[in-house]
Amino acid sequence: MNKRFQKIYFDPYLFFSIFLISTLGLFFLFSASNGDVSIVLKQLAYVVLGLVIMIFLSQPDPDIFRRMSGLFLIFSLFLLGITYLFGPEINGAQRWVRVGPISFQSSELLKLAVPIFLANFLFDKELPIQRKEITISLFIILCCFFLVYRQPDLGTALIVALSGLFVLFLSGLSWSFMGGSFVLLIISSPFIWNILLQPFQRQRIATFFSPESDPFGASWNIIQSKVAIGSGGLFGKGYGEGSQTQLNFLPETDTDFIFSVIGEEFGFLGVLLLLSIYLFILMRCFFLALSARDRFCRLVIGGLSLTFAANLIINLCMVVGLLPVVGMPLPFISKGGSSLISLFLAFGIIVSMGTHKKFLPQ
Amino acid sequence: MIFEERQIEKNNFSSRAILLFGLVSIVFLAVLVKVFSLQISGYTEYQLAALKNKNYVVPIQALRGEIFDRKGRALVTNQPTFDLITRPNLILDIDSFLEEIQPVIFLSEAETSMYRKLQKEKAFVNKELVLKKDLSDEEIARFNVRSFNFKNAFIAKRYRRISDHPEIFSHVLGYTSRTEEDYISMPEIPRSHWKDTELTYAHGLVKGSTGLEETYNDHLSGRHGSRVYEMNAIGQFVKSISLTEPTKGSDLYTHLDIDAQKSAAEFLGNRKGAVVAIDLQSRGINVLYSSPTYSINKISNGMSEDDFETLINNSEKPFFNRALQGRYPPASTIKPAIGMYGLSHDIVNWNFEIKDPGFFTLPETGRVYRGWLKGGHGRVNMRKAILVSSNTYFFSLAYQADIKELSDHLYSLGFGQEVCFDCFDEDKAFVPTPEWKYSIMNAGWVKGDTVNLGIGQGYLVATPMQLANYASILATKGKILEPSLVASGNEEKFLKSWEDGGFDDSDWNKMHEALLGVVESDYGTARSIRNLKEFQVAGKSGTAELVGLDSKEAYQEVRTSELLRDHSIIIAFGPMPNPRYAVSVVIENGESGGAVAGPVAIEVLKSLLDE
Repeated sequence: MNKRFQKIYFDPYLFFSIFLISTLGLFFLFSASNGDVSIVLKQLAYVVLGLVIMIFLSQPDPDIFRRMSGLFLIFSLFLLGITYLFGPEINGAQRWVRVGPISFQSSELLKLAVPIFLANFLFDKELPIQRKEITISLFIILCCFFLVYRQPDLGTALIVALSGLFVLFLSGLSWSFMGGSFVLLIISSPFIWNILLQPFQRQRIATFFSPESDPFGASWNIIQSKVAIGSGGLFGKGYGEGSQTQLNFLPETDTDFIFSVIGEEFGFLGVLLLLSIYLFILMRCFFLALSARDRFCRLVIGGLSLTFAANLIINLCMVVGLLPVVGMPLPFISKGGSSLISLFLAFGIIVSMGTHKKFLPQ
Repeated sequence: MIFEERQIEKNNFSSRAILLFGLVSIVFLAVLVKVFSLQISGYTEYQLAALKNKNYVVPIQALRGEIFDRKGRALVTNQPTFDLITRPNLILDIDSFLEEIQPVIFLSEAETSMYRKLQKEKAFVNKELVLKKDLSDEEIARFNVRSFNFKNAFIAKRYRRISDHPEIFSHVLGYTSRTEEDYISMPEIPRSHWKDTELTYAHGLVKGSTGLEETYNDHLSGRHGSRVYEMNAIGQFVKSISLTEPTKGSDLYTHLDIDAQKSAAEFLGNRKGAVVAIDLQSRGINVLYSSPTYSINKISNGMSEDDFETLINNSEKPFFNRALQGRYPPASTIKPAIGMYGLSHDIVNWNFEIKDPGFFTLPETGRVYRGWLKGGHGRVNMRKAILVSSNTYFFSLAYQADIKELSDHLYSLGFGQEVCFDCFDEDKAFVPTPEWKYSIMNAGWVKGDTVNLGIGQGYLVATPMQLANYASILATKGKILEPSLVASGNEEKFLKSWEDGGFDDSDWNKMHEALLGVVESDYGTARSIRNLKEFQVAGKSGTAELVGLDSKEAYQEVRTSELLRDHSIIIAFGPMPNPRYAVSVVIENGESGGAVAGPVAIEVLKSLLDE
């Protein structure tokens, strides 16, 4: 047999922990959707498809991804452009692109394309990174951010920007530059508040700081989410027994607020178990990043896994009331094919980057 | 890149990755701490908040206690009726629903329009809505056969407060009416939930408004139960979680006697007046009747506004409880009390005689006060004066009285004050004093006023309740009973004695003998009722003049207007010599006391004694 087929690139730790968490996700989703079997079956199909994609994407050599990175970014931006021109408007936002029977949230791809492209752009640059490279990188990041932000989808736009910034930071951005940017960000915050943020987003931030000001209006979601989690106690109310979830006091139970469902029905112990699995996945990615064969792989693994972490953390902080409400699903568990598939894509690439070792020159 | 550079880059990457993953871990920890503070530290608070979200508690109305007479016969009971109840939130097309149900259940125009109005207000909650009350057997049968057509409607049992004697006991029992104050009794149920009360009475939440229903409302009211529903976010009831059954109120056992009350009503007929009878052993009020009357059943179970207006505006004032609130001059029935005053204050003794020419002349002014018999009664002592009801005797006795002492004496016999222990809205009526006359009429008290008091005319007024109470003091030779409608259990507590040093047992015996003579002797003013009974009765009749007239001829003119005719009054007790019951009867515009009010008193006594 050909040598190429003898080796399957596969990381059992990541595969089984992701398999475990997406299976648990299906289980949680059944309760969170008030027992809607069709939602769970659809999600199951995405999980199976995702696992296959993940294994499949783990096989190519990282160099292939590297060489494809520019094309991938252009393709992603192209899809975004199509969405902008032809995408259906849902709830005042254009986020979806439809190809035949399949709808896809085009911005999800950017979360992968931006860090991979920047990793490719920066991996062979000398340390410290020069101003020219920084400027180009930031320009790309800002462009992508604005394109997604215009949909409008602030949550994803922030993640896209972060995914690029993570790579920039990991590749050796100077501390003095970061300090300067931070000061600039503080100075420009009134501008961001007034011009960048939509009124409903401002409202969300305002209610975050005083949730009791409007208990039945804007802060309803976060109050009910806290009540759901808090009333779960140590052991939870039992599967399918969460009154906040089952009686619809909690909004968006199958998407953004599914963590509250888990907290309500499985209690602190359930939350502990769930967070442990997530932390395990992250630590495994951290290990893979450190032991990756070259700088490009390191940057990609670091960028993608930290993007995943940011996604996760923003959702968790939002539902427990540590951050204002932004639309952000819980990775591997919330309903939604696009985010699920893009996660499996990301982890497929991570496994590829982490498992391919460079043969030392003989 | 050369090897060293790669190593530097790798170290640089590692330290930065450690920094970022470290940050991520810290945020993870922060999330965990926050979740801990919600689920472990804040558990109680959030659990309560979750329960408050979903649990919706509604009251369940309790049945009121029932009311019984002294022989355990029901006066007021809760009687089930069957009502047609709908689930308004499930009825989408109200027009077609009403059209479909019309052939099964007859609905009046008023019922359908009321239903439409209420449906609009309550359709969005799972609330029951009554479409028609008190279905007939025929309607129930018709509906049951077709009930599969009406999934949004059902027949349910609802109670009505019903008396089998709704007219004769109306004033004493009183009626119930809707209340919105029950929420005070259960502070654990939010006030807004009371609109969703599971009703037991067709008329809704009720409380006693008048009569015993009011006086003993706390006793009769049960404790409402409650049911906890699980409610979803849009306010629909999902299921019932727990139930606390309501507790029926305590029953009320009264001293009232259906037979005696019926006799009073029957013999009073459609004349205006009142009858009160008191059991001298139990101090219980056996009869408390006021005429004309009305039906408490109608009022307690929802009366139309028009019907109520008609009752209110009735010139005979059926709502007016004459037994407790009617102010009548006691007329000659006061004479025993005046006699007691004269004897105990040594103004007269039993042998003291005067000559009665048929009138009394006031020495100061020369004004003439006439007796009822032209030419007078000749020589009269106390006994004869009571028997023949000599005005002259009591005019001259009162003339010598001190008005302050006399009014105190009348107070001590229960006049001018509430005498009943548990009557609803009892009137104090009135004993006049010089202070009162001066403050009201800006005129001084004159001897003539006292003289008028001697025959129970003038400013003195009393209620039938006070007259019966006074009769019971006479009958028991000075026991003050504080009559009561409901047995309290320790009657001794209420026993007081009327005491006056100058009036002893032999005086009492002579007084009884005189009062017996009023009915039983050949000269007594109430002798016309002597043969109506098998037992002996003592008493005193009276004729209360509404118009002060000097001659019989003048009265014949006044008589033609019925409303100006004299009131007929009697107080009586029997059987003698050991009386068990005392009774008072007032018949408005009934004229001669003994002949008109007397028979009613006798029939009531007969009913009470017929066990």
